[in-house]
Amino acid sequence: MSNRWSKYVLPLLQPFAAVLIGLIAGSIAIWIAGGSIPETYSEMWKGAFGSFYFFTNTLARATPIILIGLGAAFAFRAGFFNLGAEGQMIFGALTAALVGLYMPGPGWLVCVAALLAGITAGGLWSALAGWFDARFGVNLLITTLLMNYTAALFAGYIVAYPLKDRTGSAALAQSQMLDNSVWLSKLFKGMPVHTGFILAVIAAIVIYIFFKRTVAGYEMRMLGGNPLFAVYGGVRRGAMMLSAMFVSGGLAGLAGAAEVLGTQYRYIDGALSTANYAWTGIMAALLAGAHPVGTAVAAIFLAALQTGGMGVERNTEVPLEIGSVIQAVLILFISAKFTYTYLKRRKEKNADGTAA
Amino acid sequence: MEQLLDLAFFSSAIRVLTPILLAALGGALCARVGLFNVGLEGMMLVGAFGAVVGNHFFANLTLAILFAIVCVTLFSLIFGYLSIHLQANVIVVGIALNFLALGLTTFFLRTIFDVKGAYYDSTMVGLPKWDIPFIRDIPILGDIVSGHSPLVYLAFLLAGCIWYYFYRTISGFRFLSAGENPLAASSLGIRVRRYQYGAVLACGVLCALAGAQLSLGQVTMFTEGMTAGRGFIALVATMLGQSGPLGVTAASLLFGLMDALSIRLQGLALPTHFTDMVPYVVTILAMFFFKNKGFQQDAQKQSSSSR
Amino acid sequence: MLLEMEKITKQYGDLTANRSIDFNLRAGEVHAIVGENGAGKTTLMRILYGMEQPTSGTIRVKGQDAAFTSPADAIRCGIGMVHQHFMLFPSFTAAENIVAGREPGSLMRFDRKKAAAEVEELCHKYGMKIDPWAIVGGSPLGVQQRVEILKVLHQGAEIIILDEPTGVLTPLEVKELLEAVKSLAKQGKSFILISHKLNEVMDTADRITVLRDGVVTGTVNSGETDVEQLSRLMVGRELIQIERKPSMPGVEVLEVEGLTIRGHKGKPLLDQVSLNVRAGEIVGIAGISGNGQSELLQAISGLIKQDAGRIALVGAEVSAESARGIREKGLAHIPEDRYVWGADKSATVQETGLMGHHRRLQRFGFIRQKAASSLVADFVRKFSIKTGTLETRTQYLSGGNLQKLIVARELAQGTPFLIAAEPTRGVDVGAMETIHSELLAKRDAGAGILLVSSELTEILKLSDRILVMFEGRIVGEMAAEEATEEKLSLLMAGGKQQ
Repeated sequence: MSNRWSKYVLPLLQPFAAVLIGLIAGSIAIWIAGGSIPETYSEMWKGAFGSFYFFTNTLARATPIILIGLGAAFAFRAGFFNLGAEGQMIFGALTAALVGLYMPGPGWLVCVAALLAGITAGGLWSALAGWFDARFGVNLLITTLLMNYTAALFAGYIVAYPLKDRTGSAALAQSQMLDNSVWLSKLFKGMPVHTGFILAVIAAIVIYIFFKRTVAGYEMRMLGGNPLFAVYGGVRRGAMMLSAMFVSGGLAGLAGAAEVLGTQYRYIDGALSTANYAWTGIMAALLAGAHPVGTAVAAIFLAALQTGGMGVERNTEVPLEIGSVIQAVLILFISAKFTYTYLKRRKEKNADGTAA
Repeated sequence: MEQLLDLAFFSSAIRVLTPILLAALGGALCARVGLFNVGLEGMMLVGAFGAVVGNHFFANLTLAILFAIVCVTLFSLIFGYLSIHLQANVIVVGIALNFLALGLTTFFLRTIFDVKGAYYDSTMVGLPKWDIPFIRDIPILGDIVSGHSPLVYLAFLLAGCIWYYFYRTISGFRFLSAGENPLAASSLGIRVRRYQYGAVLACGVLCALAGAQLSLGQVTMFTEGMTAGRGFIALVATMLGQSGPLGVTAASLLFGLMDALSIRLQGLALPTHFTDMVPYVVTILAMFFFKNKGFQQDAQKQSSSSR
Repeated sequence: MLLEMEKITKQYGDLTANRSIDFNLRAGEVHAIVGENGAGKTTLMRILYGMEQPTSGTIRVKGQDAAFTSPADAIRCGIGMVHQHFMLFPSFTAAENIVAGREPGSLMRFDRKKAAAEVEELCHKYGMKIDPWAIVGGSPLGVQQRVEILKVLHQGAEIIILDEPTGVLTPLEVKELLEAVKSLAKQGKSFILISHKLNEVMDTADRITVLRDGVVTGTVNSGETDVEQLSRLMVGRELIQIERKPSMPGVEVLEVEGLTIRGHKGKPLLDQVSLNVRAGEIVGIAGISGNGQSELLQAISGLIKQDAGRIALVGAEVSAESARGIREKGLAHIPEDRYVWGADKSATVQETGLMGHHRRLQRFGFIRQKAASSLVADFVRKFSIKTGTLETRTQYLSGGNLQKLIVARELAQGTPFLIAAEPTRGVDVGAMETIHSELLAKRDAGAGILLVSSELTEILKLSDRILVMFEGRIVGEMAAEEATEEKLSLLMAGGKQQ
């Protein structure tokens, strides 16, 4: 009986409590801003899901977040802290733009090639960090963080000088615009969501199946759960790490490529960073405990907070940052391990009296 | 070349490195007790905002800086409580705090000042420039060293104080021991948690000063997200400097020079991206050589990727 | 009488670690406590040092009743402990380590020169030599231990507990340590020496107390006893009935030759170990844990690399092979620590039970779910493993049930060679019987088994041939018929084969 309680209800209790606390914190912020709490939250809901346009807008925004979240979740599951999604996404976006601009051939072929190139670029950049860790023992968490900036600056250079779009009067550092035969098509006429969203959903399902049903998925999960157990059972840690990092980075690269091919139609220096897709994606993975489908849902939820925030901005006195306030408070409480098991452990410790 | 590296260049390098140095010292304190603080960026941002808000309401620089310190200290207490007491993952908490800082500061920017993007008050008094009597008359050195805001001098002074604290005092010795082997330290009666909280609060103060230098140092304004990654560069300086006050100062100096250089190059219409990349690339290279030291072990304690 | 511990009892739930133990210590005496793993030595010392509270019993120091709630209390009463695993700050100097917590100086200044002077004074007074300015992390282990001892002396300890002090020392360092102990005792310090090395104990101690299964089996003066009597007190049980079919050994399935692993600073973890195991026989390695058995098994299964020597499995060279490759060549492994190596606590019972079989039960890279679940369901049925469902998390299995799962899993690999390390540790009697009969059945079916256990009864019950390991070397070998508990425990404690 208690087993069922702990299996089904408890895992949901924590995120639920966190969301509740996030909404309460948001209410406080709204009150400080002088807004009306019910009005703000209703505008938030409308901004995210109110009309078909807004709804698809949320999905479009969610697309790169889902993909990055999946990438982060993939690496976390295998036991590796890949924080380099930003850089991997940027390289993916840049490579996709370059392939899209300069590769000859029919539109659909170039599009596919650009996506694949984006995946490869992100994957290789990520696997490089993995190799540094496996071969030289250089800590993955830090190298991935540092490589983000390196990637962003390098890409910025490329579109500020050699490959800058000098047509038109734009002073922005950006590449030229892609020919519309290469674009990822929109799913609904006039609506922002594009094929990339379908790719994201498919990726979530594929990854879910991978982890649940395949041999390699099993080995990766065991590696993440207890690396010694995995090695004891014959799992090849080095190869697994490189593969996991490649897939993780590849998904981030795909996120960048899809944004370029589906929404922005060019590579704009800094555009992907300002939108904060990478860190939001990582947050989604953390919120969902690295579960593939959960990550996708969390990503859509976080995207909704952002688009909802924009709706709040448009129609009330409250700034759109209300969304990020709620988001941050949420993750703080998730990270606080404020769970039943923690409190239980605390009670046990006090009762025992030993200095264990 | 002369145009590039004139005295104004070095002077601006010193001004630019100050927020990085202050935050990096805070990061070093945290790292030394086993808390890898990724949230320096957020703390600095809160400090910058707090300083502007304080200045606006109190019209007094000292009170403004104190207000900034109070704000960031409260903020860092969240970090401390979650990481130390609730034993949450230090990296996750740091990332969340960065998000929270960005959201909160932008949110309150809109609500308090009713502006978008940046708040600029021409009537607000920024940090003064101190012309130090004898030093300013020394050729070359005088132009570089004199004429900075008091926080710049405070930064270097604090670096020296931390050095003295670590390596000359008993309390500092126990502080270091608490981080090096918490189990052994507590068996000797050293209160590890107390030192950890102390480090976090001190880091808060330092980041508040760093933020104040940013928002009140050159021009008195607050821009959304104005720390622009400086908190992460500070973290990099901490790592490169092996969490030691001297190393951190040297690393901050290097990064300050690079930053000033890239501003110069911008003026000459040359690509700055590669000079901007230097801090990160240098640190990655350094990690190959300084393998089992300081921050790597802290990061290893947090994550399980490297063994 | 400096210290008196009367009727000390410590219970952890059902388990009684110490039962009504009486122990006392005179000033200037070296009093050793010996016993096997799990005899209760460590628990007793943890109580004395304030790290645990006794369930009942009293402690008196210098005639005064004392109750220690933390190490700080014990230190204040003049008790110091040198732990088996040093509690040092590697990047600090020896002097800094020694004075930590009682540093000389003022509020603003740590007077390091005075600290070095204090250390030198101690060195002079007690006849120990160290360089106060040497960085501890880079020093040899013997020096590190001296720093630990000076630390407790600086704390003003009159009673010094040494917990398995010679485990990591080279023979020369051991000699120096024991000399130092004797010299300090002459100056009035008292020592409690915890050890399983009977020769060292005989050489250094004045009195020896033997613990077995949580009770004192005897307290003797070292001059009036010998190693044989001590080992009999340590072990003495009823002789067990051995009902094993005679073995019919076949081809060699495991050959280990000259296996060596260098340890830190001079002391090898494995020293020229050579052995073989043939099909249809069980070779048991007896020994107190920590004498190289773990390293031997990890080297054989490819989890660590040896520095010298070769390993062959079913005729194939596997000296440089990966863990995966060795498993494929025919190895299964019941690991000595089920939580560290044998399972993933956060995974389900199904997933833990699948490890090692998962590559076999696949189609096009997908795990064959039905085959996998019936495999593990089989384990559960055959070994009566108590679990909710196969989807229950492994962490909810009791230790004994998890051990049964692991044993079932590894036996089912169907390999010609099996490592069984502490196969019935923490397991109830019924499960123990099951596991033992399964191991014997496997051996009757023609597999070669390398059994490592610190339980002599288990070794004697199952093995056809018995080896003894001590300090990384094989120090004895005998056929099962010739083996007795006394002979084996003598070798295990460093005695010489008669």
